[in-house]
Amino acid sequence: MEQNYFLAKWLNGEIHEEELLKHISEDELRSYKKIISASNRLEAPEYNAEEAFTKLKSIQKKSNVRKLQFIRQFYKVAAVLTLFFASYYFISDTNTTYTTNLAEKTTFELPDHSNVNLNAESEIKFNPKNWKNNRELNLKGEAYFKVEKGSKFTVQTNLGKVQVLGTQFNVAVRDHYFEVNCYEGLVSVTYNNEVIKIPAGSRFKMLNSNTEFTNEHVEINPSWIKNNSNFKSMPYKFVIKELERQFNVSIKYDTKHENTLFTGSFTHTNLELALQAISIPLNLKFTIFSDKQVRLQ
Amino acid sequence: MDKNNPGYCDEKTFSDFFLNHSKLLHNFIYYKCGNFDMASDLVQDSFLKFWTNCSKVIPGKAKSFLFTIANNLFLNEFSKSKVVLNFKSTLPKDVTNESPEFLLEEKEFDAKLQNAIGNLTEAQRIAFLMNRIDGKKYREIAEILNISVKAVEKRIHNALVSLRKEIENI
Repeated sequence: MEQNYFLAKWLNGEIHEEELLKHISEDELRSYKKIISASNRLEAPEYNAEEAFTKLKSIQKKSNVRKLQFIRQFYKVAAVLTLFFASYYFISDTNTTYTTNLAEKTTFELPDHSNVNLNAESEIKFNPKNWKNNRELNLKGEAYFKVEKGSKFTVQTNLGKVQVLGTQFNVAVRDHYFEVNCYEGLVSVTYNNEVIKIPAGSRFKMLNSNTEFTNEHVEINPSWIKNNSNFKSMPYKFVIKELERQFNVSIKYDTKHENTLFTGSFTHTNLELALQAISIPLNLKFTIFSDKQVRLQ
Repeated sequence: MDKNNPGYCDEKTFSDFFLNHSKLLHNFIYYKCGNFDMASDLVQDSFLKFWTNCSKVIPGKAKSFLFTIANNLFLNEFSKSKVVLNFKSTLPKDVTNESPEFLLEEKEFDAKLQNAIGNLTEAQRIAFLMNRIDGKKYREIAEILNISVKAVEKRIHNALVSLRKEIENI
């Protein structure tokens, strides 16, 4: 039903009084007229827009200033946060590194309580933050691992990758020489994109690009952790290198012996005994100079 | 509608907008609550809010947006209390013809009217007074309040009916 708001229409001049009188009485019309004329005299309280605007401006300015301060605050907080996150990033991303110098050995524990023996002049680098999910470390030199059971444990070297689940094994990486000995469990070595499985008591050896796989050794752990270096058919230069590493000396010898194969061992505790051990088989004599120089003849 | 210039974030546009509409907005709030200072504060707050949201203003809807802001602020801050309006009532221009009794009568009637206006519903009061005091056309009121012209007519019609009843019954 269309409502007829005749009063509103009349007030708006849309209909005449005659029309309106169809709906209301003369008396009522008189009252309405009076109301309207009275209401026409009404005025809202004096309001000064200009003044109000000036006031608003000052408030705006203040709030603008506050806004700036807020921005400055924001920058402060942002700077601190950035610093915090940046430092966190750097700190957390820095790998833990263990290094040994010449004539130095060390033993340490990884975050999962796996044990690592690090031979002389070696380095192990790993990220302790993500160790639980990613047991991976980088090795330079030689190390003996007693790995706790758990997720895959990976040893990255520049010559190949060694992967295990939980076992004891030794990894040696020297110039053109890569040797992995497994003492317990099973080790998998990735070398030249080839995966080689090494069961307990076996050895993988790479020397000058020649690989060799043997399953003959009977030791229960590498000799070097008992301060002994064992060699089996190793070129003499590797033996000399190892001796230099273990005693932090520099050895001069005739290069014709470089590739002579050597089988034997030397101790890490006594330089003279060690030198005897490696010189007698080749019928050489050694002289020790005071400044850690040794000559073999 | 208000401006051809759509950018209310522009200082000049904003100040024009303020000067053109702040009085109507002030009256609008005053009709609601009958408190001059409260109305002034709310005008200020509304325009500040309008300013901070200036980029969101749809051209042509600025006025309605402003009044919506004011209305929301009003609802947020004040619970309904008895509205006592206090209008200035200017004397008729042809004062000379009026007897003192008539003037007195007139004054009495004004008082009654003001009281009756205070007793109108808020919606009726706003529509009625915007028309009477601010001289706004129904169409403009409809636009500001975001309602139809028909609804404005209804409010004004009913306002007149209630005013007459109130004044004559008392």
